[in-house]
Parts: sequence; C-alpha cells; structure tokens
Amino acid sequence: MPGPDLVTSLRGVVGDDACLVRPEDLFVYEADGLTLHRARPRAVVLPREKAQVAGVVKTCRAFGVPFVARGAGTGLSGGALALDGGVVIECARMNQILEVNLEDRYAVVQPGVINLELSKAVAPHGLFYAPDPSSQAACTIGGNVAENSGGPHTLKYGTTTDHVLALEVVLPDGEFASFGSRTGWTQGYDLVGAFVGSEGTLGVVTEATVRLLELPQSVETLLAVFPDVFSACRSVGAIIGAGLVPASLEVIDQRTIAAVEASVYAAGLPTDAGAMLLIELDGPSVVVSREVERVRGLISQAGASRVEVARDEQERQQFWRARKGAFGAMGRLAPDLYLYDTVVPRVKLPEVLEQICEIGDRYHLRLSNVFHAGDGNLHPIISFDRRDADEMKRVLAAGEEILRVCVDAGGVLSGEHGIGNEKHKYMSLLFGEDDLDAMHRLRAAFDPQGICNPGKVLPTPRACVEAGPVARDG
Amino acid sequence: MSALDALRAAVGPDAVVEHEAVDVDGVSLTESLRPRSGEELAAGLRVLSERGMAALVCGGGSRLCQGNLLKRADLALEATGLDGIRELDAEDGVVHVRAGTEIAGLREAVRAEGWELPLDPPGAGASVGGALASAAVGPRFGHPRDIVLGLEVALASGSRIRFGGRVVKNVTGYDLAKLYTGSFGSLGVIEAAWLRLRPLPESSLCLAAALPDGAAGFERALAAARRPSVRVAAHLDRALAAAIDPVTAREGNVLLLELAGDEALLEADLRELIEETGAHQVDGVVIERLRAIQGGIFHPGGLRLRLSSLPTRVGEATEILARDGGAVLAYPARGLLYVRFPVGLSNDERTVEAAERSARLAVAAGGGGFVIEEAPDWAKQRRDVFGDPGPLFPLFRALKHQYDPNGVLNPGRFAGRI
Repeated sequence: MPGPDLVTSLRGVVGDDACLVRPEDLFVYEADGLTLHRARPRAVVLPREKAQVAGVVKTCRAFGVPFVARGAGTGLSGGALALDGGVVIECARMNQILEVNLEDRYAVVQPGVINLELSKAVAPHGLFYAPDPSSQAACTIGGNVAENSGGPHTLKYGTTTDHVLALEVVLPDGEFASFGSRTGWTQGYDLVGAFVGSEGTLGVVTEATVRLLELPQSVETLLAVFPDVFSACRSVGAIIGAGLVPASLEVIDQRTIAAVEASVYAAGLPTDAGAMLLIELDGPSVVVSREVERVRGLISQAGASRVEVARDEQERQQFWRARKGAFGAMGRLAPDLYLYDTVVPRVKLPEVLEQICEIGDRYHLRLSNVFHAGDGNLHPIISFDRRDADEMKRVLAAGEEILRVCVDAGGVLSGEHGIGNEKHKYMSLLFGEDDLDAMHRLRAAFDPQGICNPGKVLPTPRACVEAGPVARDG
Repeated sequence: MSALDALRAAVGPDAVVEHEAVDVDGVSLTESLRPRSGEELAAGLRVLSERGMAALVCGGGSRLCQGNLLKRADLALEATGLDGIRELDAEDGVVHVRAGTEIAGLREAVRAEGWELPLDPPGAGASVGGALASAAVGPRFGHPRDIVLGLEVALASGSRIRFGGRVVKNVTGYDLAKLYTGSFGSLGVIEAAWLRLRPLPESSLCLAAALPDGAAGFERALAAARRPSVRVAAHLDRALAAAIDPVTAREGNVLLLELAGDEALLEADLRELIEETGAHQVDGVVIERLRAIQGGIFHPGGLRLRLSSLPTRVGEATEILARDGGAVLAYPARGLLYVRFPVGLSNDERTVEAAERSARLAVAAGGGGFVIEEAPDWAKQRRDVFGDPGPLFPLFRALKHQYDPNGVLNPGRFAGRI
C-alpha cells in the first residue's frame, strides 16, 4: 500500500490528477519495452513543468524513496522500471519544443518531446534531428538522452551523445544544474558527455539542447541479394575499407527473409536469397551518384548476385519495409519476442553470426538476425511463448550464451538498448572490479544517497524484480 | 626509505630520472617519473598516493602553458614512454594507441593505411594522451571527444581501469571516456586510447579571400564554412592574416578555407566559392601557419583566450574583442574564437581585467563561454582560467574526490582549481 504521507506530498507538488496510485493505473508502468521484467511502482507522477520535477525529487529524497524518470517506456532493457516501490516520474506531459534556432541549428526541447516530432517540426526548414531509433515515432528525447539512443543511421551520424549540446537536469538532491552550452563548448568536466547514456541514474533531464543538421541533398537506397550472410558481411567490410561512409548498412539474414515473406509484411524478397544488404547513401547529389556506382562495383565483387537501386521514394520505402517488417514478421510466429542487442568488431560479424545461429538451433529456438552491420551491432530476435516455461528457460540461457560469444569476440554487452535491469548482472563479463568501481564512483559523485534509479546499469546484490514467465495479466 | 627511493624500488631505477630543475608554474621540478608500461605507471602512482606526493602529469609538454597554476608537485609524471601503436585495424578504421605516442607519427602511420587521424592540435611534439586530456582542438577537426571510442586510465590509487573499447557503438556502462577527455589529467592518467579514424579525403585544396569588414564579412565566411566540402574555415583580422597571406591581408580581413573530400564536390564548391568570395587558391602550408597562430602568442608574456559563440554571433563577438584591442582568429561554423591581447609590464593586472571584461561582453553577445588559454603566472595567480564553475563546483569537487581523493594528480590545474 502506498504510504499516505509520500503520496499526499507528491499530490501537493503535481496536483491530484497527476499522481497515480491505483493498481489499475500503475499496471502499465510495471514494464517498459522489455516486458519480461516487471516491477510495480509505488506511485506515478506526471509533472507539467520542471519545477514540479524538482519538487517530486525533493519529496522522494525527503522520504528516502527511489525514483526513476520515464519517457515513452519504449526502452528495451528495463531501465524505466521503478524497483523497490519507487516513484516513476513520467515526463510525457513536458512535451514542448521551447526554441528552434534555424540559423544556429539547434533546438531546446522538454524531455517528453517525441523524437520524430522534432524532425517533423524542423523539416520544412531543411533541417533534421539525426538520431532515429526504431521507436522514433513514440520515444522521447529525454529517454534518448538517458539511453544514448542510436538507430539505423549511426554509422554516419553517431548516436544521441553526438547531438546533445547542453542539458538542464534535476540532480538527485532536487537542485537544478546546467551542463554544456548551446555552442557545444564548455569549460570544466564534460558533464553532458557523462550524463548522456547514464540511463537515468544521475538525474532527470528537464531540458535538452540538441543539434540540428541540414537535410541531405540526395538519398539513394540500394538493396543487394547475396548467396549467404558471409558475403554480405564481406561487402560491408569492402565498403568501409574503401573509405565510404554510408548512412546505413543493414543486413537481413535468410531466416528473417523467410519470416518476412511469409507474413503480411512481404516485400517481394527472393526467398532463396542467403542474405540481403540494405545500403543508404546520402549527401550532396554529385557525391552520392558517384558513391552509388562505387558501391555497386564493390558489392558485385564481394559476391552480390543482384543489386537494385530504389527508383523513387515508394520503392525506397519498400526496401526499408523488408528491414523494418522483420520484428512484426517474427512477432507473428509466437506471442513474445526477445530482441538482443550486442556489438562485435565488424570483422568478427560472420563468425559470431554463425555461432549465434548455432546457439539458437541448439536450444530449438526460432531465431533470426537483422542487424546494423556497419556498426557491428547485432540484433538476434527470438520469437517464443513465455507461457511455455521450458522455452522461456531456453530463451534466457541462449541469451546469456550469445552475450558470452560476443564478449569473447572482443565485443560489448549493448550497442543501443542499454544495460538497465536486463544486463547489469553480466557487466562483470566485460569489466573488472576496478572498472566497475570507477563507474560506481561516477554515480556516487552525482547520487551519494543512491535513490536515482537504483538497481540499474551496475551489478548490485538486489534482485527484487521478477524476471521470467510472468503472465501478461499478472 | 625516502619517497624517491620507494618510487625507484617500485618502478625500477631507470623510470625515475633526475634532471636539471624545470620551472612549471613556479614549482621547481628536478625529478621525472617516466613509466614505460602500464604496470610501472600503476606502481608509481601507488607510491605517490601512499607517500602523499603530487605529480605534474604531462604528455609531450606542448600544452603546459594551459590550465591553472599547479598548486604543488614533487615530480613530473611524463607519459611519453608509454608510446606505440598497439593495433591499427585498416579495415575497420580504428586504432588502439598508447597515450605517449606523438600525434605527428601516428598521423603518418594511419595515413599509410588509407586513414586520417582526426586530431590536429597546435604544438610540436603533442602526444595523443595530452591532446585528449586537454581536449585540444586544431583548425581541421572538432572536439577530440568525438573520436574517442575507449580509454585505459590509471587512477591515483594505482588501479588501472578501462571503459569503452574498439567497437564504434557502445552503451555498456557509463561513458567515462567523455568525462576523462578534457579533464586535464585531474582524474587519472590516460594510458591508451581507442580512436575512430576517418577515410582520407580523395582530394584537398586551400583558398584565401579578402572579406568586407563587419557583419557582411562574417556572413560570407559562415556561408562558405557550411559548404559540404569545407573542413577549415577561418576568419582572421588583417593583422593576423598578414602572417599567412600578406597580399590578401592588404585588402582586408581574410577568409582562409580548406576543402577536402570527393573530387567532383570539390570542383563544384571551388567554382562557386570563387564566384561568391573572389577567393584564390593558396598553398596548403597556410594550414600549418593557421595552427601556429591559433596556438601562439606574438607578444611575450601575452594573453590568449578561447571563446565560444553561436555561429551567427561570431561577428558580433569578434567586433567587441577587436574594439578592445584583441587580435582575433575565428572559426565561424564551429563557433570558436581565439583572441590575443598584448600585456606589457609585469603585474599589469588592469590590462588582464580589461581583456576579461571584453571577453565577458563577447561571450554574452555570442552565447558561449571563455577560457584563458595562456597567461603570465602572475595573472593566473589571481583567477581561475576556466572561469568560475559556479553552482557546478560541488559536482566537480565530488568527482575529484571520487577519483583522486588525495590530490595526487595535477593539483590545482583544472577548473575550480581542484
């Protein structure tokens, strides 16, 4: 039961209608996009202005109650879960674009602004906001800052950290602090850099100043067919080794092609193809047209049996449908999806993929791969049924083996989904005690009380969250 | 056992070198710790911590003039012995390099494999670790943080940590590499780094053009700077420009450009830039001269400040500085300005204060901040060259306390004099 004093105090800060405590209201906040992990918050507050965020944090601190900020809840590592009966600070109502400076190319936004809405708002002026995670139609800039979100275009444009100029945050003690500047230059420690990607453990973003880029003059999208995934990966190496930096290099494996073509997302892909490579080139027209020809040559040499260049926007969307439809198609095969996220040095992609497929087969799982090949960022997807306890167990065991294979290949635990509540127990696969201690120290400098999104990122003894076969209505 | 003997016993006699006294910020240093391996570095740091000693941490020594005055130091910790490329992946375009490696040599090594090192700080002998620790920026490339994929660092306690790594996309744990880049060695000693390289441009060329005075000149410079092939765009007042292109400088302020990349793009930009600005082609050596101007002081004992500004307000900020006697080099698209003021006599505090006032007005107009990059010791004694950290000071102090609680590393040198 919620402690009345805490809730009364929170209502005093945000108003009665912006503080949820009934079980049926809290239910939707039990999980984020990683539905395997669940924890019911004690309360959810929906501040409308930044002073209310500070008030909520101060209240939580006074009661010694942990809190976690939440954007749209599209995260895939359980980062927005309130463990130990904490308070969720839902930032969706703080959704104003406060300033757009077209000449100096930046925007100041509240944390609840939806990623795609920002790009839409500035597109008529020839600008865009580069980070474009797959959930960009729903996810928020505040959440993107917390997770250092990427997307299919990070090879050329980088991740969120490359596009945040300044932040206004509420620190875990309830005080406001401003990091960075609109100019992108700062004096002193790079606190913007330390804060982006800290998964909500160092404070709550109340304003973000982000860089806007000029829309590319020309975009060309190519789709190439390969006899196997290895030749597709070889092509990626050849393209990058030749000094080209495409905006996207996405590989779709045979298993995914089969699933997509058997679904409503069918994009007319050749089902006998071993793999497909989606390549997007953008920039000045004069450059892009030359690059298209160079890429054609390189991938033909690397073994592509067919290369098509999208003739118009409609065809371009069709190419992307093959890539984007993968999740939907895999989702048709079973009630649940588990989407992994790891990164390996790009040259290791072929051998690691082989091992991942072997792991999936060994555990009798429906596993397929679509991935950001240019970044070495793998996304094995497993469709499964969580009500099948045995299958659930196999999914988790396979996931751990996949992580180990990637780390052994010189890779890391996450490329864009974060560590959150999902992978903190695996951090010691990659880091030694001293490394983890150094990370604890950063957190301690910001949050000595340990009340800002505790139980995430770093391994701790706590295990209060349920992970496993929990019924959706549970 | 004396502290030095303890240090020799821990790291080996050859790694502790006695030399003639070197004066850094009024601190006389007669010994240097020159570790040749991460193990030696860690062992040395452990002794320093245990004995309550402090060290000036430095790489190639090209940026010792920057930062606040050192509060104390028993010796210099020189990272130059930690040098060499550990791995250069020519297919992936990433390099793993030890901190003491000279940038000039590294640049050549990666070039031979078809890649470009996106670091070009001023200063002969600059090392990778020093450039990262001081967030050194050159004319061509932006903030070094953009290319750091991972770092290996030795903490004051002697523990060796690493974060990030060789992969280009990574959200595994906190991004401590960002915190350490630009921290002036105040939180740890950078031992090695993973850096992301860029493809070598197919072609490059340099242009110079005379600019009209005032706002029109800056508008023209910014428009040119934003062309896709332009990677250097500098606006120099005519006095500074005389050292680079005296002929053009006679006509007014000078726009200096370097175009790099795809040949067809270069041709197109070149044609239009000549039409729009009346630019003419100049020898590539101008970039070297530009770098020297950015990092240099013409008047001995002078004052150099770096300011940031929104791109469209660089002109306004420059006008303020120039009116107050500053010589200004500005990179309009990047929003960076370097200004030099002559300082005459020793303890000429009024001149320094006037320069600061001017810089404050300029950044108020430009929307940024400023750092005093170089100043005489007497001027540094009276101020924090990074400016007052204000409400961020408790956080800075907390970070220093977490990573270097006994103040072993570069005490006093960084922002907030921590």
